[in-house]
Amino acid sequence: MRERSLEVIEVSKSFPTAQGRLQVLDGVSFSQARGEVLSIVGASGSGKTTLLRIVAGLDTPDDGVLRLNGREIDGPGPERSLIFQQFGLMPWLSVVENVLFGLAMSGLSKIEQADRAKDAIGRVGLQGFEDFHPKALSGGMQQRVGIARALAVGPRLLLCDEPFASVDAMTRQTMQTDLLNIVTKEGVTVLLVTHDIEEALFLGDRVVVFSSRPARVIEEIDVEIPKPREHSVRTSTGFQEQRAMVWELLQATA
Amino acid sequence: MGAPSGNRIGAGDAGGRRSGEPARLRTLAAQPGTLSLLILVLVLGGWEAGGRTGALDTFFFSTPSVIAVKAWTMLANGDLLFHTLRTGYAYVAGVVIAIAIGATCGLAMGWWRRFGDIVDPYVVFFSAMPRIALFPVIILIFGIGDFSRTVIVFLGVVFPVLFNAYIGAKQTPRLLIDVGRVFGYSHNRLFTAVVLPAALPYLIAGFRIGVTLGIIMIVVAEFLAASAGLGQQIAVTAQSYQIAEMWAWVLYTSFYALLIVRGMDYFERWAMRWA
Repeated sequence: MRERSLEVIEVSKSFPTAQGRLQVLDGVSFSQARGEVLSIVGASGSGKTTLLRIVAGLDTPDDGVLRLNGREIDGPGPERSLIFQQFGLMPWLSVVENVLFGLAMSGLSKIEQADRAKDAIGRVGLQGFEDFHPKALSGGMQQRVGIARALAVGPRLLLCDEPFASVDAMTRQTMQTDLLNIVTKEGVTVLLVTHDIEEALFLGDRVVVFSSRPARVIEEIDVEIPKPREHSVRTSTGFQEQRAMVWELLQATA
Repeated sequence: MGAPSGNRIGAGDAGGRRSGEPARLRTLAAQPGTLSLLILVLVLGGWEAGGRTGALDTFFFSTPSVIAVKAWTMLANGDLLFHTLRTGYAYVAGVVIAIAIGATCGLAMGWWRRFGDIVDPYVVFFSAMPRIALFPVIILIFGIGDFSRTVIVFLGVVFPVLFNAYIGAKQTPRLLIDVGRVFGYSHNRLFTAVVLPAALPYLIAGFRIGVTLGIIMIVVAEFLAASAGLGQQIAVTAQSYQIAEMWAWVLYTSFYALLIVRGMDYFERWAMRWA
């Protein structure tokens, strides 16, 4: 087995509500190899995003342990970056400034930061838009900025929270292909959370299926589609069969 | 008027210069600026005519021509400059100090929630209070001078600025704070990198309310007690039935207020150029 990257061990989390505590994660465990793209798929509100926030260090679990490259996670860290569903761009900053925002606390020299920002903007295909403000960009382009910001820091683990859920369907497929190409080429370890089965399969080396509220791991599936993947694999028989299988699993737990 | 410009040019070409000229005049007449000016001319003309025919009582309303002469005299003999400076010093000092203190306290209240929760009821109380009501006691404490007026301007401006800064800092989207945290920003860095710029539209709205309220506050303060200043001159001329002079002072004061509001517009457009 390849070297371990992320280990999630018996993680539980509940939130207080008016009707008492709501159990969101119930003893979730899985691990991820370095360079692997792992998709977590589950119904909306199943606690996937909560798990991702815990991995990012934005929330703390009630129970359980998380390790990244052998070190326990106890807060945000520069070796992890996150692509947010709602982009999370600073509206007062231009494209390049938004990417630099992610690099500002990296400890790199200003020159190195500028180089990395330029490079990341190029990788997501936004050269020429450096000085635009988010408001002037389409949703898809805004999320490209979000991706560039997350990639620029050179994360050991790239976290993606429903990254294309706020993007129109046509753009979504193009961006999925683009993201897959970037992370495959650079061997980035990716933890992706989505409710879109097709997205989970298309991007993932492996798919972890979550039950819904509280979330438990109900199945781990190896995606048997070789990389690099083209857009056309979506219509292949193998892809459709795995898609049907995941759908059945999710239906059974709903 | 509704015809597309292509047609108009075509007609002008076919019919020669004579039909081209009225078209251009009509375009000029349709400009909002031209129409605004036309309204001004009509109002002033009506006022002047009303005064001369006796339809308007010149004892209360004077006439634009007489007011213009008085206004010119004030400008020429230095009265305008003298009183403008007296009011201006107190106003600018009050506004600057109020914005500095109000913005700082409001942002701090929004960022340190516990501090904000503790101070909140007092801020609400003082914001709701008609602060001009404090003016008599301020005069008792500080006397009739520029300092009292600075204090009253300060009190007028500080609360709207503070309140808006407070709301601005409090409403910073959770998402943007999370983004900062993910990318390693400390609590203090989050404040300068995220909270402050996110609060900027609110801060500017507060400045706008503050500077406008400040004008009202200083003019009223000068009515009540002052040895010089624009408000004091309005009060003195009105009390001694120098109605034309009074109108001239009112118009100058309004003109300054307009300049300040306009300046605010430009500042807002500059500060918010990304929006």
